Amino acid sequence: MTRPVARSVVEAFYKALAASDFAALAPFLDDNVTWTISGPVDVLPFCGQRHGKDLVLKLLDRDIAVFLEKRRLVPSVTLIDGNRAAVFGKLVASRGDINRTISYRICQFVKFENEKVVNYMSLIDSFDAVEQVLGQQITVPGSARAGDGELVAI
Amino acid sequence: MSYSVSRAVVDAFYKAYATRDADKVAPFIHDDIEWTISGPVDFLPFCGTHRGKENILDLIRHRVPSVLKTYSFVPETVVVDGDQVAMLSRQSARRTADGRPISYRVANVMRFRDDKVIENFSLIDSYDAVEQVLGQQLMSPAKRSANGEFVAV
Repeated sequence: MTRPVARSVVEAFYKALAASDFAALAPFLDDNVTWTISGPVDVLPFCGQRHGKDLVLKLLDRDIAVFLEKRRLVPSVTLIDGNRAAVFGKLVASRGDINRTISYRICQFVKFENEKVVNYMSLIDSFDAVEQVLGQQITVPGSARAGDGELVAI
Repeated sequence: MSYSVSRAVVDAFYKAYATRDADKVAPFIHDDIEWTISGPVDFLPFCGTHRGKENILDLIRHRVPSVLKTYSFVPETVVVDGDQVAMLSRQSARRTADGRPISYRVANVMRFRDDKVIENFSLIDSYDAVEQVLGQQLMSPAKRSANGEFVAV
């Protein structure tokens, strides 16, 4: 039977993740953790899937920092059910090179075993994230964004 | 005592919602519901915030199917805690215009009241969804490569 994760463990994991405190985060990662961030890998290379604690820590500590400085997670909803947790909120960061603050919505699903994270799946509002990280609006010829006036109202 | 939604209600809602049959979904929708789908409204016109039961049922009956027709909605993870639920699913559909297959992940973060959904936020992998709905890459490979030069890790 799957053992439930304690709320205190989830909270400690998220406190470390939200603050980008990777020394505090490391003990919560299983050696064989799978870490997935949805999104276009060729535009946002930190997206995709990583396996193993070392690669995940490198991703969090170094790879993402190339794009997103001073990032922090601002949770608005934290749910715990058995050995799973879900967090919905915003990721807030900055890009010094373009003097811009970045903020996009994120929803994370985390599975724990023996009080360690074995699976992390993060869904982000990737269109919004790409526009903000690139610092430009995405346009498509012939679409409303191309300025043809055919805006779609809801 | 505070209200908690049961897993049985969540499962029943989910099965109804997966059918995309508004009549089956209706009993689970609160009159005062607020339903938000993240994403660029000018590419995915069903995105945005919608309020009220009739608007949500119209969204399911007409507005989403005008862009894509969902034929599969498979939950991968369901987290239930008190009156709130988070679900991660794989949505598969066909583009209404030409039947082209579309598949992307969606997270639903919901709040229930009296066994009905009163609040929902749907977070989709919006870049992926837009590319599939438009049927084209949003950035040319050359531009992607150029961007990669300053963002590569």
